Amino acid sequence: MNLPLAARFGGRQARAVGVSLAAVLGSAAVAAVLVATMGLSLADGVAAFADGAWGSAYALGASVNRALALALVGLGFIVAQRANLTNVGGEGQIAIGGMVAAAFALNPHVAALPLGLAFALPMLAAATAGAAWGALAGFLKARSGTNEVISTLLLSFIAVWMLYGSVQSPALLRQPMTSSSTLPESLPIPESTQLPLLGADLGLPLHVGLPVGIALALGVAWVLRRSVVGVQLRAIGLNPQAARRAGIRITAATVGVMAVAGAFGGLAGAMMLQGEQWVLKAGFSSGYGFDGLVVGLLARGSTIGVVAAAMLFGFLRSGGINMEMVAAVPTALVVVMQGLIIVAIAGASVAFEGRRAVP
Amino acid sequence: MKATLAAAVFAGSTLRLAAPLLLASTGELVSERAGVLNMSVEGMMLIGAFAGAVASWASGWPWLGLLCGMVAVLPVALLQAWLSIRLRANQIVTGIGINILALGATTLAYRALFGGRSRTEIPGLERWSPPGLGDLPLLGEQVFRQVPLLYVALALSVAVGWTLRRTAIGLAIHAAGAAPRAADTSGLPVEKIRYGAVLFAGAMSSLGGCFLSIGDIHTFTEGMTNGAGYLAIAAVIFGNWRAGRTALACLLFGGATALQFQLPATGIQVPNALLIMLPYLLALVAVAGVMGRQSPPAGLTLPFARH
Repeated sequence: MNLPLAARFGGRQARAVGVSLAAVLGSAAVAAVLVATMGLSLADGVAAFADGAWGSAYALGASVNRALALALVGLGFIVAQRANLTNVGGEGQIAIGGMVAAAFALNPHVAALPLGLAFALPMLAAATAGAAWGALAGFLKARSGTNEVISTLLLSFIAVWMLYGSVQSPALLRQPMTSSSTLPESLPIPESTQLPLLGADLGLPLHVGLPVGIALALGVAWVLRRSVVGVQLRAIGLNPQAARRAGIRITAATVGVMAVAGAFGGLAGAMMLQGEQWVLKAGFSSGYGFDGLVVGLLARGSTIGVVAAAMLFGFLRSGGINMEMVAAVPTALVVVMQGLIIVAIAGASVAFEGRRAVP
Repeated sequence: MKATLAAAVFAGSTLRLAAPLLLASTGELVSERAGVLNMSVEGMMLIGAFAGAVASWASGWPWLGLLCGMVAVLPVALLQAWLSIRLRANQIVTGIGINILALGATTLAYRALFGGRSRTEIPGLERWSPPGLGDLPLLGEQVFRQVPLLYVALALSVAVGWTLRRTAIGLAIHAAGAAPRAADTSGLPVEKIRYGAVLFAGAMSSLGGCFLSIGDIHTFTEGMTNGAGYLAIAAVIFGNWRAGRTALACLLFGGATALQFQLPATGIQVPNALLIMLPYLLALVAVAGVMGRQSPPAGLTLPFARH
């Protein structure tokens, strides 16, 4: 079957894929030129990038874990987006999730729970707390019409500084101060609360969060495409007045859908803490929420798009960090690439969509 | 006497810390009133801070640095305007993209020019006291002896407030943001007004960034704006999209930052995190409608297209 790509995918998807590929390749070309202008070896840089992104089992696993957190935030974003709500609060929802997961995991009673509850309960608690944090923005929107972009952005900063405060204070999550040089961070969480590894024999640092994430992605795809809820959300997104006349409860849906988005962010925070970092420190969320938001935006409502964009950013960041350590190419180069990709796709995708009025 | 001195120092540092926010939020106010939520303030401030510092370092003239900072931000502001107004791309995603781009680009360029982690001192603006005020005992030295750019910021804030309220330009900006379709029907060039507003926001953000690098710290450090751009957006929200209240919000936020440095010396124990969080918390309380109705421009974040 030698059908052109466009015929098989449908024109819109093919164009979206084309635009994204062009943006990635274009930004890579700009990065290559920059490396050359800085008088560094391009070959060394590329080798170090590949090595850091997927060169070893460990690197591959780390990139996938990074992508997992980004994908969760992105999934939450597209669920809310279906109801025409923009969740900019991923960063704060991750922080809340990390904080609550740490508080639960550091509780000796929780750590002693059997049957895997020791690691499941902190995750559940983090998702619940994230849901409450997200629902707050939904509630403000439904009650006083507060723009959710503004409220979730402000809630993000509040949560990030709450986390900072919690690891500064020995009364909260800071480790016991044994000397003046005790770092402002939590104790490492006990082993029973860390997420069990899947590919330990292969040296892959993948954990049980991955299958959970995959299941959630499938769930989101199903809800958005096949379920009644998906249709109702779309109805609210397209025309709230008509949806209300049709008997859809807008207030409940607005609060609910923001809660779901928040729960995904909270879960991402729990997985970052329990799967990789094990210690809660200031700057824990470190831009994952904003990257996840961009992943959701670039995906343009598609679950596969979320996964693809999350993988792209996950590998990009991992490779970039190694590039700085090995080849003396500043990580900032990858930051530039990421910025270029975002700006290019954001601009191009609208231009290619026939300039319809954006809902 | 000690308490009076502490109060004077507090007032002086509140003004100094509020000034970059005041510059950036005055620009952002105009952009938002015209209907564009310009999320790239942070990136624009950073580019201004960088370009201003480099030009001041290369020429030895801080005022030339100020000018170069404003020129350097224009391409970025044009990009933001073109993407969000002409292409009608999502204003939030383009803003975040530009912020990321600015952080990466200034970091790269700084390292290429100055190497690793140097903190080269650059020629900065001299402090100056307005005639008369500078001779007051205590207040003259601690409160009014400031970088002249601070007085420029205050003047610009008043001028913008007056323009928005009293002039035809102000009315046109308001119309473009509140009722773009009606404005278009009555013959106003909505797209041009929005372009102008975003460019103005860029120039003002850049001045805010320059205040940090040339005016205050006399050096550039990677990512030195550190969230000031988002704070400027919060000030506009807390100010309910009015110039006077936005300026007050900046003073309030500046005061909260000044307290972080001064409270420990007085022995009062307040968690640092709470003071840093305070501006965002206040802005949230304001948008939640607890303090009376908020009235954002009706067309904020909505792209406008002629059909």
